Amino acid sequence: MKFVDEFRNAELGERVSAEIAALVEPGRHYKIMEVCGGHTHTIYRYGIDDLLPANVELVHGPGCPVCVIPMGRVDDGIAIAREPKVTLTCFGDMMRVPGGNGSFLDAKAAGADIRMVYSPLDALRIARENPDRDVVFFAIGFETTAPSTALTLMRAKAEGVKNFFVMCNHVTIVPPLRALLDSPDLRLDGFLGPGHVCTVVGGRPFEFISTEYRKPVVISGFEPLDMLQSIHMVLKQLDDGRCEIENQYTRVVPYDGNVQALRILSQVFQIRPHFEWRGLGFISQSALALGPAYRAFDAEARYAVPGVRVADPKACQCGEVLKGVIKPWECKVFGTACTPEHPIGTCMVSSEGACAAYYNFGRIARERAVV
Amino acid sequence: MNAPRVVHAVPAASCDDPFHCITCSDEGVPMRVLSLDGDGAIARCEGESGVESEVLVGLIEHLQVGEVVVVHAGTALARMQT
Repeated sequence: MKFVDEFRNAELGERVSAEIAALVEPGRHYKIMEVCGGHTHTIYRYGIDDLLPANVELVHGPGCPVCVIPMGRVDDGIAIAREPKVTLTCFGDMMRVPGGNGSFLDAKAAGADIRMVYSPLDALRIARENPDRDVVFFAIGFETTAPSTALTLMRAKAEGVKNFFVMCNHVTIVPPLRALLDSPDLRLDGFLGPGHVCTVVGGRPFEFISTEYRKPVVISGFEPLDMLQSIHMVLKQLDDGRCEIENQYTRVVPYDGNVQALRILSQVFQIRPHFEWRGLGFISQSALALGPAYRAFDAEARYAVPGVRVADPKACQCGEVLKGVIKPWECKVFGTACTPEHPIGTCMVSSEGACAAYYNFGRIARERAVV
Repeated sequence: MNAPRVVHAVPAASCDDPFHCITCSDEGVPMRVLSLDGDGAIARCEGESGVESEVLVGLIEHLQVGEVVVVHAGTALARMQT
């Protein structure tokens, strides 16, 4: 398809790869964080890592929406699903995320009515078709996904649907990035900005990275050539001694974002004072809740949820992986006790999770070469 | 320390494969608008593989049939510049 195939051209990829190799200083180690889980997926699916010089290291960021869901929220979702006449709906990847007492899949096997949907609109359709049941959508995702939930809620309200509810777990990407930049564990040289989050919020929310922390940011697309070009742009900024925010993904991302999407987000949601992120702890103003105009659709207001904080299993090192401090395969349980079929940590669940990406695509040759 | 030996076949991306979930990842899928409903809130769109689906398009102003939009979780987030 146009807009896809031309960004997977191997010959062009090799050419950009050679330009990257010519740009880096021998003896200098570069650490570039790809913020978005979608980028992590592209890196391992297409072997981007193998096209880079050994001294250019890609560090995986916290931008996998499944990976950052704490276990206690899964338990809360299961508690709602076990209520009489409730159908819980969620995206596919959420089904296997382990809570303190099993996953949605386990709860479904035990009799709860939990269904996978491809969009919030599908969940609303289930609600319309089942007026005798409460249909709850377990909403996850960053600013990319929140508009979809918001539009669906607006439709539900306009249509007068009374049996559709949302358990809101939407999160925002800037607060955890700031937390990472303040972390003493991590030294980063630059960032690949999350292209699809930026279709909604634009580039301005990321300007602080270049102005306050003096790091280059390049908003990147998701095809292999997009990513190679973006890495080249970050390295070029470093070579020039610049730290700016640049937009590689101009065919999709307007620098001001989607003004209409931002407007409806502010109408439907409000910022939570704090929210727990898996592996990162509580981060202030980092998540969304339904605002006053949509209180009637709030599953957490309709149902009592345990709201218990559940500690991650001791063996799990998702926190360090999410912060980019360790590589997935350096985790003690990677590929042994923790696999995509039987995940202990969330990073092994979603294909956008760094651990699952490593596991599924076997991109460990470089690490094997250096041990 | 030896890295674990794990190599799997690379699957095609689709909603149904366990290696890739296009809804909850931050993926944006280019889709061409085939038709628009009366109030312009929902469009019938066609993706790369020819699969058609219903997409919420209320966030894209003045959308026309034939344009390409970037779709995430059933919602068009941006118009592809052509």
